[in-house]
Amino acid sequence: MIAIETKKLTKRFKDKIAVNGIDLKIKQGELFALLGVNGAGKTTTIKMLSGLILPTSGDIIIENMNMNKDIFKIKEILNVSPQETAIAQNLTVKENLEFMAGVYQIKDKEKKINELIKEFKLDEVLNKKAKTLSGGWQRKVSIAISLINDPKILFLDEPTLGLDVIARKELWKVINSLKGKITIILTTHYMEEAESLSDRIGIMANGNLIDIGTSEELIKKTKTKNFEDAFVSIATGGEL
Amino acid sequence: MRMINFARRNFKELIRDPLSLVFEIALPLFLLFIFQQFNIDADNYKLENFTPSIILFGFSFITLFTATLIAKDRTSSFLIRLGTSPMKSSDYILGYILSILPIVLIQNVLFFLTAIIMGLEFTINIVPTILVSMIISIFFISLGILIGSLVSEKGTGGLGSIVVQLVCFTSGMYFPKDLIGGVFEIICKSLPFEACLNIIQGTLHNDFSNLSAMHIIVFFIYFIVVILLSIITFKKRMISDNK
Repeated sequence: MIAIETKKLTKRFKDKIAVNGIDLKIKQGELFALLGVNGAGKTTTIKMLSGLILPTSGDIIIENMNMNKDIFKIKEILNVSPQETAIAQNLTVKENLEFMAGVYQIKDKEKKINELIKEFKLDEVLNKKAKTLSGGWQRKVSIAISLINDPKILFLDEPTLGLDVIARKELWKVINSLKGKITIILTTHYMEEAESLSDRIGIMANGNLIDIGTSEELIKKTKTKNFEDAFVSIATGGEL
Repeated sequence: MRMINFARRNFKELIRDPLSLVFEIALPLFLLFIFQQFNIDADNYKLENFTPSIILFGFSFITLFTATLIAKDRTSSFLIRLGTSPMKSSDYILGYILSILPIVLIQNVLFFLTAIIMGLEFTINIVPTILVSMIISIFFISLGILIGSLVSEKGTGGLGSIVVQLVCFTSGMYFPKDLIGGVFEIICKSLPFEACLNIIQGTLHNDFSNLSAMHIIVFFIYFIVVILLSIITFKKRMISDNK
């Protein structure tokens, strides 16, 4: 069953093509990593897929709904953990969870919040204001919040950027625990993160989706020793 | 409802910012108190005239801190997260306005209580004055939404300060415009702040002889234009910030 499908997805900003006619299919429950150097078009792609900006042309079909027609229905079933920590700074962790539960009109909100508190072990920071938390905790809370509506599709934009190795490994554990349950689209600059977590990887350059496959397939295809070399080879067209 | 939920969050953000409370409530209260100690022999400084002036002065800080909240939300990833949620533009705009109205009510009640303690005669007119000033505050909140949608958090300080100064000098709260006359008087008549003050004072005194048809026209033009511009600009910036 296909969770996300794009057909000739294109985004132009004046005379610049940020995303150039991408065709992509992501299966339900798959963890799909989108990689690319800066300016490759992955953030623009994520923003279009999450309904934040509209495509110039092309179609986005999410769980059999077309983004052009059913944008608000689609927004009910997806969630995003943006690159920077996206939580209300003067609110406590509990208030942040309650606020987002209100945004998604969660019926049994106490039950859902308690589930997330348990799953992410948020007890010790529950009554602390978000702005007083460390970067690792803020990111953890941000990801916990993104699960408040039991999304069918979850976008994780650079989820471990700037975190220390222990905080990163902890988040990997959380992301791994979500695999198979929901469809996850992950962007990252860490090659080992993409390799370790994802089922398939798409590589973008200059607005184009230039290759797609499992990490093993991409290593084999480029005849390189590891995934990082495979990525460099694909992203530079074999120049490096 | 999503807008109430959003308003609740905004209210908490504002009320937990000590600086906003100092400028929105403590500073106007201090001015109300201190100017009465000077016993200035001018109509502007009589309690029944100066209390409405202080209400208007407090509103100028409402504009400043509304603008700061919105600019801060825009530049953080917080609005990106909300932008991917099912919230609609009306939820945002009304959520911002609704969150600030309780602060306006608190301002008004505290200003009148202080004025009554200092000798303002308690009349039933205080109730409609509070209601009218809350309607006028929607103009100042919308102006804050407009400024916060247009400029960065740093820029809101500058533009917000201009609004504070314009309120002080063109509303007639400190001195009547005809003392200077000429171009200054035309500027005062063209801006909405004098009209705002005359409406609030007129309601409190139950005497609208200072309020001309031109005042009402100027106020309503600004009121409608600023509300419309704030909605259009906020919606546009929500998209352009995310390009």
